[in-house]
Amino acid sequence: MINLDFLNPVEDNNGLETEVNKEYLENLNVPTFDIPLCNNPIEFLKHQTEAAEKCRLSIVHGTTTLAFKFKHGVIVCVDSRATAGSYIASQTVKKVIEINPYLLGTMAGGAADCSYWERELGRRCRLYELRNKERISVAAASKLLCNMVYSYKGMGLSMGTMICGWDKKGPGLYYVDNDGTRLEGDLFSVGSGSTFAYGILDSGFKYDMTPEEAYDLGQRAIYHATFRDAASGGIVSCYHVKQDGWTLISRTNVKDLHYKYAEQPKAPLV
Amino acid sequence: MISEPIPTAQPARQMANRFDPYEDNGGTTMALAGEDFCIVAADTRQSDGYHINCRYAPKAHQLSDKTVIGTSGFYADGICLVKRIKQRMEWYYHQHDKVMSTPALAQLLSVMLYQKRFFPYYCFTILGGLDEEGKGCVFDYDSVGNVERVKYQAEGSGKELLQPFLDSQIGLKNRATDDVLDLTEEKAIKIVKDAFSSVTERDIHTGDCVEIYIIRKDGIECEKYPLKRD
Amino acid sequence: MNTYPNPFSEAISYQRMEQYDQEHLESLSNISPMTRTQQPIVTGTSVLAVKYKDGIMMTTDCLASYGSLARFKNIERMIKVGNSTIIGASGDMSDFQYITYLMDKLMTKEYNANNGQPLAPENIYEYLSQVMYQRRNKFDPLWNALVVGGYQDGKSFLGYVNLRGTTYQSDTIATGYGAYIAQPLLRNAVEKKNGELFTEEEAKKLLDDCMRVLFYRDARSLNKLQRATVTAAGVTISEPYSLETEWGFAEHIRGYGA
Repeated sequence: MINLDFLNPVEDNNGLETEVNKEYLENLNVPTFDIPLCNNPIEFLKHQTEAAEKCRLSIVHGTTTLAFKFKHGVIVCVDSRATAGSYIASQTVKKVIEINPYLLGTMAGGAADCSYWERELGRRCRLYELRNKERISVAAASKLLCNMVYSYKGMGLSMGTMICGWDKKGPGLYYVDNDGTRLEGDLFSVGSGSTFAYGILDSGFKYDMTPEEAYDLGQRAIYHATFRDAASGGIVSCYHVKQDGWTLISRTNVKDLHYKYAEQPKAPLV
Repeated sequence: MISEPIPTAQPARQMANRFDPYEDNGGTTMALAGEDFCIVAADTRQSDGYHINCRYAPKAHQLSDKTVIGTSGFYADGICLVKRIKQRMEWYYHQHDKVMSTPALAQLLSVMLYQKRFFPYYCFTILGGLDEEGKGCVFDYDSVGNVERVKYQAEGSGKELLQPFLDSQIGLKNRATDDVLDLTEEKAIKIVKDAFSSVTERDIHTGDCVEIYIIRKDGIECEKYPLKRD
Repeated sequence: MNTYPNPFSEAISYQRMEQYDQEHLESLSNISPMTRTQQPIVTGTSVLAVKYKDGIMMTTDCLASYGSLARFKNIERMIKVGNSTIIGASGDMSDFQYITYLMDKLMTKEYNANNGQPLAPENIYEYLSQVMYQRRNKFDPLWNALVVGGYQDGKSFLGYVNLRGTTYQSDTIATGYGAYIAQPLLRNAVEKKNGELFTEEEAKKLLDDCMRVLFYRDARSLNKLQRATVTAAGVTISEPYSLETEWGFAEHIRGYGA
């Protein structure tokens, strides 16, 4: 088995402070991963997760998530369905990862990849806080995550996440994915149902909405995505990031939303 | 850090007849959490395609007085995983002078599975037991370590058959009336037995016998319930 | 490590890079081909084993095939390990010889330790299955299906392990073609006994009957067999012997291209 650790090449310190260095590494190094000792490990994994393979490693996928900045902070809304192929592996996934009281990450793509790396990000953010006596900025946090997954680029990680928070600059929203893309923006939606969510979001978005209007917009966007995208569904969770950290606004079953919206008068077409 | 040279990559066409390290030995496991108890059950058949290798190859393993693990999928990977967990628990015990709690074990297991992200264990794991407050808890995993705490869960070759049954009988999903479920231990065991009898009827990789571990605060009991052997 | 041309240079398109990749990799693979046992070459067919009253009985034939060629007709496919264990192998014979070497090494160590606690069949089985599983992890499998039989302290042991490290223990084990043809016959015989164990004569007859059926239908088998027993008296591997066969019925078989 090969141990793989791209981020921490062991540095030669001429035999000085070996013990200290070891302890330091134990606390700070990225975890190492086993990779298969075959001719082409990446191809191997790809092959193994393909639908055609008999012993298929079904990795949980499929999602709609969104987040947007507005006057009163950042709204994060997600569904809760996880699918493995056509099987619904879970209807109760927590797709908002509470990194710390000031930072949220969303989960799209491989569930294990997202939760693992965002947990690792949480650990690093805490270390940053301890070293620098102040909270990490959203920009820096998202960049940490981006750099971590970038070092595994091309090896089959699957992650599309939005890092949301509040720092000295105000509300922060960054999109990070497994290619190493990192974008700052006011409005993102990620996942198989994102196109549907964008449709609702773009038509209903106003910067100076009230928080209540914003919650409704986010929930509606997710609801409509679950309605049209088979890989999204379950429960709509809504979070609001404010200056003093995030709060959970609601968790609503899409069934309840469906009947709620059905009762309301439809808007005129034009 | 790369401690051994990575073997040189070769074109994908060589992939066709290479050694396949995985095997599917089938098997179904499930777990459900009660208020102050937990049940983990796994059938004991080991199969390889249409062969039945063995009618008694245990897939559920007791890890402590409060935790039981069930694995299905590739049997050798499952055994190796259980062995490594037991070792880590032993180390933990000697380091901290206490037995690892079920939620701690659940997180450890997630990391251990993710450690093999690029060469995954082909196994579907369920961890069941009592948490620090003595409440029943069930943790469900995918093959690369995504973990979720749930009330009840089915995994393995019969999960597509078993999970909807549990959704109906334990989750009481999508009912017109507001039923409340008073899940007693007796009722839970009855549901588990019915569930496995039904899965055995329609899944060729499940059968022979089911081992039902009942985890209570005063210890673990294992009940064997015979299933159809056809 | 691979060195790529500067990916930021606009002069180099992605297509060009891929082409470079391909050529580079191919040239590398020509210099240092990394090939391992990717398929068995000289192979043995089924191993059959059952538990009986006095211990374990195991049978194999003496053939090692080279593809469809009956290449070596006087091969021993069972080895004695210590005084209470036997290992029977199907699959690649060179890998089996390596396992023989491993077992020799293990028993030498055991002899030198001389700790009054001889390795039980369970211990040898555990060791062997760990070796098999570790080799599959290294993508360098020992291409065998092995049957470990043993008898110690009044307990018989029968276990199976294959090239991927899959293990199981059972009262009857059959590998290779035997898993299709002999295993049902063996299990049927066991179930007829209703919990009682076979006598030596019954076990002998049962295994011989199975081997005969296998000889009729398994094109890689040979009517030259060895029978091994592990009992309280120790391990015995018989001299090669043949079974009475009857081919008269072949006249009446229609179908199968006949």
